[in-house]
Order: sequence, then C-alpha cells, then structure tokens
Amino acid sequence: MFYLSRVEHTLPLPPPLLNLPIREAMHMELEKLFLDKVIAKFGLCISVYDIRSIEGGYIFPGDGAPSFTVVFNLVMFRPFVGEIITAKLLSSTKDGLRLSLGFFDDIYVPVHMLPIPHDFVEEPINSYENDSKKGKWVWKYDEGQELEIDGIDEIKFRVQSVSYPPIPVEQPKESKPFAPMLITGSLDHDGLGPVSWWPDAEDIEEEQE
Amino acid sequence: MPAAVLLQANAGALTNFEVLDFFRARGASKDPTRVIAKVAQSEYKVYDYLVNSPACSQSRQNINEFLEKVKKYDLAKAEILSVLNTRPAGPVDLFAIIEDCEARFPDEVLQEIIELVKKTLPPPPVEMDPEEIPDGNEETATLEHKGDKITEDQNEDEEEMDQGDEISEDQNDDGEQMDTS
Repeated sequence: MFYLSRVEHTLPLPPPLLNLPIREAMHMELEKLFLDKVIAKFGLCISVYDIRSIEGGYIFPGDGAPSFTVVFNLVMFRPFVGEIITAKLLSSTKDGLRLSLGFFDDIYVPVHMLPIPHDFVEEPINSYENDSKKGKWVWKYDEGQELEIDGIDEIKFRVQSVSYPPIPVEQPKESKPFAPMLITGSLDHDGLGPVSWWPDAEDIEEEQE
Repeated sequence: MPAAVLLQANAGALTNFEVLDFFRARGASKDPTRVIAKVAQSEYKVYDYLVNSPACSQSRQNINEFLEKVKKYDLAKAEILSVLNTRPAGPVDLFAIIEDCEARFPDEVLQEIIELVKKTLPPPPVEMDPEEIPDGNEETATLEHKGDKITEDQNEDEEEMDQGDEISEDQNDDGEQMDTS
C-alpha cells in the first residue's frame, strides 16, 4: 500500500527560509510542493520521508533565490493490483459503490464487480434532491438470505486497477470533479465485502458442509 | 524550473506499521489540539486511518517475530505485507490475500498461518474508549475552555440556564466579576 520513492529535484529556496537550517528549510519547501499531490504513475504523495543529499546553492541570473538539487525519499500511497484494503463506504448509487480511506476518496466499485447475484434497493425519492440514484446494494448469497452493504461496517475490497487519467484541458460542466488517481475495486471474492459478512470463518465453513 | 526526476520509483515497500511509526516519531498523536506536532493536515488523515487499522498495536518485535516464523510457508513478499496490514482473522480472509490459495496450501496449513497471526500479532484494541485516562489533563483543559465559552455566552444573552457541574467553578468567577462591574 505504501512505498518509498526516491526523487531528485532542483528547486529554489525562498530567502525568508534562509535563516533556518538548510535541511529544515528544504523539508518545508518539499512538503509544500509534494504533500497530498498525485504524481502520475507513482501514486499519491503522503509524506517526505527523508532528505538524502542537498547540493548546489547557486543563484541563477535573474533569480532572487539560491537553487538546490535535492535527493529525497517520499512516502507514496500506491496500492498494487490484487491488494486487499479496508475502506469505509462513502456513497452507494445505481452505478456502484464509492469507498473512502479517509485520505483518499476516489475508489469505485462498479456494479459488475459486486458479488453476484446482487440487487439494488432504491431509497424512496427525496423530494428535495430529485435523484433516485441513491440506495443500497444487496448480496443474495443464498436462497432467501440477503446481505446488504449498509456502510456501518468497514469494507474490504481488492484493488482491480489503478489509473491516472490525463488532466482534461477543459472540464465538462456538471461532471464530477477531476480525480488524478482512480482505484477500481472489486468485492467479488471470498472474504471481501463488509467485515460483518465474514464474522468467523469457521461458522461459514460449517454451514457450507 | 526543471521537473522532478524519479530516480527510483520503488525504493522499498513500507508496511502500514512503518508509516504509522514514522508519523508517531514526528509527534503525531490522538491529542485533539494537533497544532504542536509538525504534521500536516493531509498527513493526519493518513494517521487517522492507520490508527484505526490493525497496525496500531503492532511493534517491531512482533513483526520481526512474525517474519521469522512465516518464512517456512514460502509466501510472496506482497502476501506477507498484506497479512501484516490486514491481520486476517480467519482462513476466508487468506483466500483473498494469497494467490492461488487452494492449490498452494491445504486447509490445515491455512489454519496454522491464522494461528501464527493470532499468536504473534496483537489484536487491535477494542474501540469505544474515547475517554482515555492518560489524556485526562488535556481533556479537562478543553472542558474548562468550553466552560468559559458557555459562561460568556450566558453573560451576553443574560439567560438563566441550568448549569452543569463541570462549569460551576468558572461561573462563580464570572459571577463575582459581574458583581464588581
């Protein structure tokens, strides 16, 4: 789920920070630049782990600050395909589920990756928000046995793919906000789904036998 | 300005515990004020996630012990990482984590792995303990602040309200001030 990535970057250090020890000042600048940002193909930057080297300090003509070349490690959030992650339910619509990790919200579980056979129970239409898209997904795992995804429990999902859509030149109106990193998740496997679905493995095995 | 150059995209995987440990070392805690520590807001979101994950009660000794003992099962690195991060509670959880699980491991071995997890990795503490005793000092501090605010409001509105036990001290103080003024 988390990785270290080593990065080299040349950046100017603004004069107000020059009274601080250089490592501290550089750490602050790097945090400002990278924290909570997605680097395409490499994931979401969580934190600056450490600084390996700082070199340079030249003032280029026309610049008002010294530039340093820094080599540092970043803590990146980059789940691998097939990884199992525990998340919370953010919303549940006709198109599937949206899950959240707290620090990362762009996790989608499309309908065809829910456990089969499944069914969608619409919420009564709210007169104020006139969209009937909200509701609950139900897994009909046995004759007459229904398990619903209600958002009370944490949900385990398997990472199906991670994509980094290119930044759109023009954002179409009324579309959802642009997400630089998208995770597609799947619940269609033993042991996945809300934690309460698999209370104790032994009970389920006994039932099956 | 030249763009950042990625020297090594994958300089090593970190377990959830290591990331949590990194934040703790920098002073992140459950302390509600969250100003003193040098931890950014976005980092706190990650910290909050990790504190509520099985990683919160693990320690370096636990993990080293587990790594030593899990060697004989010949799991892939990514699988061991997942086991550490999710702390599976039953064989069903392992089905999802381990690739081609049924072909590679018979049921007894899976049960053994689960037992090993249970033995070496401590279970996450039971939740529902918002009133932690060690944080008592800070909690009372915030309560006093709340008390101040309530009394101020009451002075402004000049309303007679039922007064809570915690804020009675402050209200006495304020009451005296009102007499003198």
